[in-house]
Amino acid sequence: MKIIKTLTIALLLTVIAPVTAQTADEIINNYFENTGGKAAWEKLEGVKMSATAQAQGMEIPVEIYQTKDGKQLIKINIQGQDITQLAFDGNTMWTTNFMTLAPEKSDAEATANMKKKTKDFPSPFLNYKDKGFTVELMGKETKEGTETYKIKLTQEPMMVGGVEEPNVSYYYFDTENYAPIVVESEIKQGNNKGQMNVTTMSDYQEVDGLYFPFSLSMAGQGIQLKEIVLNPEIDAAMFAFPATTTDTEKKE
Amino acid sequence: MRRTSVRLYRNAMKKYLFSILILPLTLNISTAQEISLKGKELFGNMKARHIGPALMSGRINDLENHPTNARILYAGAAGGGVWKSNDGGATFAPIFDKHAQSIGVVKLDPKNPDQIIWVGTGETWTRNSVSVGNGLYKSTDGGNNWKEIPGFENSERIASIAINPNNTDEVYVGVLGALWSDSEDRGVYKTTDGGKTWNKILYVGPSTGVSDVLMDPNNPNVLFASMWQFRRTAWGFNSGGENSAIYKSTDSGKTWDKLTNNLPTGKLGRIGIAMAPSDSKIIYAVIETGKKETNGLWRSNDSGTSWEHLNNDFGLTVRPFYFSRITVDPKNPDIVVKGGLTGSISRDGGKTFKNLGNMHSDIHDIVFDIKNSDIIYSGTDGGVYRSWDGGSTFEIVENLPLSQFYHISVDDAEPYNVYGGLQDNGSWYGPSSAPGGVAARDWNSVGYGDGFRVLKHPTKNIIYSEMQGAANVWRYDVDRNRTTTVQPQPKKGDPELRFNWNAPMAVSNFVPDRFYMGSQFLHRSDDMGDSWTIISPDLTTNDKTKQDQAKSGGLSVDNSGAEKYTTIFTIAESPLDQNIIWVGTDDGNVQLTTDGGKTWTNLTENLIGIPKNTWVYHIEASVHGKGTAYAVFEGHTTGDMKPYALKTTDYGKTWKSIISEDIDSKAFVRNIQEDYVNEDLLFLGTELGLYVTIDGGKNWSEFTNNMPPVAVHFIELQKRTNDVVMGTHGRGVIIIDDISPLRELSSEILNKEVHFFKTEPFTMTEDSGFSGSFGTETQFVGDNKNTAAQIVYYLKKRHTFGKMEMEIQDMQGNKITSLSPGKSKGINIVSWDFKTTSPKMAQAKTLAFSGFTAPRVPAGKYKVVLTKGSETYSQDIEIKYDEKSITTLEQRKEQEALTKKLYDMVEDLAFMVYEINETQTKATEVMENNPKGKKDSQKLYTALENLRKDLVITTGDNYVASADPELREKMADLYSNVAANFNKVSGASKANYELISEEFSKAKKRYENIMEKEGKKFNSFLEKNNIPKAEIQSKEEFLKKG
Repeated sequence: MKIIKTLTIALLLTVIAPVTAQTADEIINNYFENTGGKAAWEKLEGVKMSATAQAQGMEIPVEIYQTKDGKQLIKINIQGQDITQLAFDGNTMWTTNFMTLAPEKSDAEATANMKKKTKDFPSPFLNYKDKGFTVELMGKETKEGTETYKIKLTQEPMMVGGVEEPNVSYYYFDTENYAPIVVESEIKQGNNKGQMNVTTMSDYQEVDGLYFPFSLSMAGQGIQLKEIVLNPEIDAAMFAFPATTTDTEKKE
Repeated sequence: MRRTSVRLYRNAMKKYLFSILILPLTLNISTAQEISLKGKELFGNMKARHIGPALMSGRINDLENHPTNARILYAGAAGGGVWKSNDGGATFAPIFDKHAQSIGVVKLDPKNPDQIIWVGTGETWTRNSVSVGNGLYKSTDGGNNWKEIPGFENSERIASIAINPNNTDEVYVGVLGALWSDSEDRGVYKTTDGGKTWNKILYVGPSTGVSDVLMDPNNPNVLFASMWQFRRTAWGFNSGGENSAIYKSTDSGKTWDKLTNNLPTGKLGRIGIAMAPSDSKIIYAVIETGKKETNGLWRSNDSGTSWEHLNNDFGLTVRPFYFSRITVDPKNPDIVVKGGLTGSISRDGGKTFKNLGNMHSDIHDIVFDIKNSDIIYSGTDGGVYRSWDGGSTFEIVENLPLSQFYHISVDDAEPYNVYGGLQDNGSWYGPSSAPGGVAARDWNSVGYGDGFRVLKHPTKNIIYSEMQGAANVWRYDVDRNRTTTVQPQPKKGDPELRFNWNAPMAVSNFVPDRFYMGSQFLHRSDDMGDSWTIISPDLTTNDKTKQDQAKSGGLSVDNSGAEKYTTIFTIAESPLDQNIIWVGTDDGNVQLTTDGGKTWTNLTENLIGIPKNTWVYHIEASVHGKGTAYAVFEGHTTGDMKPYALKTTDYGKTWKSIISEDIDSKAFVRNIQEDYVNEDLLFLGTELGLYVTIDGGKNWSEFTNNMPPVAVHFIELQKRTNDVVMGTHGRGVIIIDDISPLRELSSEILNKEVHFFKTEPFTMTEDSGFSGSFGTETQFVGDNKNTAAQIVYYLKKRHTFGKMEMEIQDMQGNKITSLSPGKSKGINIVSWDFKTTSPKMAQAKTLAFSGFTAPRVPAGKYKVVLTKGSETYSQDIEIKYDEKSITTLEQRKEQEALTKKLYDMVEDLAFMVYEINETQTKATEVMENNPKGKKDSQKLYTALENLRKDLVITTGDNYVASADPELREKMADLYSNVAANFNKVSGASKANYELISEEFSKAKKRYENIMEKEGKKFNSFLEKNNIPKAEIQSKEEFLKKG
């Protein structure tokens, strides 16, 4: 389609600006502008997302909290039980042991790496220079069958097994609308070490003026977001490592 | 096309809902002529899967350590790319999958080894079957991304890279260059700006390339280069000439001296050189001279000024073109290892050697661990090996699927098997899928030596295999475990038979016991190889000047049989007529008989655009017409890398080229596979990957989804599954499952917003065996074929904004389950495992794992419903029971009915427990706030709690501190047993069902009684005091999923 011929599209989109040379900054700026504007993203204090994860015939309700100061909580509900899969209060990161269903603290390295992720909210690209991150436009690449800009994001190095490792990820922004549709990052440990962890994003929708992807696929596992609440009410206690409880109940 | 101003885009986004109503209408008008029939997007998320095998791995050309981190190691494979280990060689991952897979050298920047990696492509141990490279690449981010360095496009083989440790922008690259032709691209190149500009600083001639480049790290002005004069043809090899020599420079390559002082002179062959890392004055050289008194290992202790001849043992002189690597221990200059048939190690500075420990033969490179010389890594024809004891014993790295197939075939078993032969690694067959994935243990050896063609007898459990030059052709009776050698042999009056190294075999489509082989003649056997008839004259050019292989090799005679020439290379019996047989020869002849071999027509003159004597690599006799065939040609053994493929529809009288500009100009073609349904759908196996056309060759698209540009030597299309199965020369067997959607693609479909492809009914396979994975932690395990229903659709545009959802419905429109749809532009494939959702479970202290089971749906028709914005698209699919089932339909219906009963019972219990919990919460609330009601609410609470403790687990954990199972757990176990089983409901399960239903009835009765007695009192208290009742969802609401 060399030119857009119809009035309808012209009315909708009004100005056609054939963009040639793009810099990483332009792409990132376009992304923020198209998804609500940088100022609005900067004002965001926290989000609560309600989602469903599909796994082997189960549709598992998931709740995710993230805050600007780095707090995080991922809670799933299985068979009526709320299970905290991951929580971080800014200092302590913890998970639930599936055998005992009791909370356990994550190892020091994982916690330290999580602390560094504090800056990722709401997007690592937001004021990335102030955060000490660097970006680089690597060129165009076809992803998900469509043309994208490939941007390399370098964040603070992480520690993996006692060794400092670079923290690099690749974001693929659809050239047509500047929305990131694929993120790749290198798997740093375990049997798939050296391979890429691929997340695809789609179903962008507006929430109070900001656009979020409502459908995520992480290594083939689908997550559908049902609701996103901006600046939700937060009870700080949710993120904190619970005081140890012992099972005192006895069966009669 | 629709890039828009940023400001206004936001407004547009807000009007998204509005826009999607209008866009489809307008786009249809304007894009009709725009869709092209090529490009990556054609394939969407259709993906190849790799099944290895890795147990025999494949040829390694080069190994490279990290200078400071002993955990990191790189392997450059001869045909399988670059692999990196982060764990001291326990496992490797590929890091070079978008570029030519034939690797010459991997080199890390000494100052910045974590980031900067150089890769020179094109393997350098120049056997007959080598692949080709296409230049020099550099990564500045540890191998995540690669840039091609301009100037080396025609290098073909890069042997060596040296980097100045003080200034790593100064890099020297040794180009060995073209193997089969003259080339002025050979020589030593230098950059001083990290690769932006290059100067050729040493060039000896068009037939003399660089074998090794060394730099003295203590004085980077000092360089050594070994130059090698060599040439290969299809029918011979020549190593050696006046130009081979060691050169030295002391001024960073400005000037070079040819070293001759007490070194052998005259005609020399390949020279390998190495410098002791702990003393850079010590240089070792292994020199091919062809004379016993000078052949083998030399040493200089004064940086090349004077030399001493040390050793000419077999291990030091064997096949210099294949083994010339010398490695010196990083700490001890007198510990020297040389590659070879077994590899040799000296601990006295090179005077005496012993063999390295037992491992795969043909050692091309060795590296020592940087910190501990007891640890040695070895790159062989069969992968990477590790030694922990200084080279006495070796173990193989188990996850390098680098197998180099010359040929593959498939059978029609379920799952089908893949058969094939490998470079130096025998012949094998293995399943295309296996429980837990295709692992090393699934592969079966069916031949020794170099393996080539392996064919299954069409009806009997018999396999034909061969070794190089048809020295042995085996007929293996699998059931009886008996092997007979059946190769054609000359009888009285026959001339000497000339079999290619990779001798052609074929089985008949019409006569099951018929078996063909080609020497210069076509041989036919109708008794599985017991007796043979020659049914053709010499079909080759019979050019005597190309038949003297006894002299092949040059200074070191190398008459392995690999260069046998003027032979038949491909035999194709028409699938439509047993009397029509096509034959292609390695010296360029295409021959045809239409009367079963009585008369032959040489069609070579009719070919168009094919240089004379270009190797006929494969002929595909078409199913679409008796006179239709495809022939592919490749001239790489004359230095001609161009792709050639022709099609005829008139028995070879006329031909047309089906190659387009889309194909890389150096991607010479070894194989073509036609589709059995759509004549315009073709698959082309090239030196640089797989290409696909959907319009008969007008446009070609490279298939890159999980498919590296590896040399594809042979392609089969498995008829039942429509799987494209590729034998690659470096990455094992690669499969693209079910290519049938490609058959349907047309301009019309590509213009639709959404198009569902037709699918055959899906079988719910009942295979349910075991797959213990003991000992496979560091093994490669190949991906299985997905046995779920495959929902395949095309999207014209990637779906990014707005909702897009998919669900399965029954034919009445009731939701069965939801699926995560793919959003790619192009073809999307979504799997459905035939299951609905798991039941809602009663809440308890622990999890009932049996409750995760989701029931299978009954066979029948279902609707796939895709909602995209405001549009809905749907497609019906059909599901069948497994024909191999051991259950009758009646038994299965009983199983389905009981599954349903138990599913409902599990959810009834869940609702009951929910009601109890809510009521208890209310009772607690009253106890805490209303002293008057305390007694009634306490009574109710306690009665319910006693009941609840019999219904669900209220103590313990999910592991060994677990409490005894209660009703929920027992019921869930029975439910899961019945639902997950493929067989009839057992008597035990039926009896257990009676018990559980009775217990549940009793529990319901107890609940009713409590609510009648304690509940009533409590409720009337609430009423009297105007306290609202417990808020309880309706059952329907409660049971909603998601």
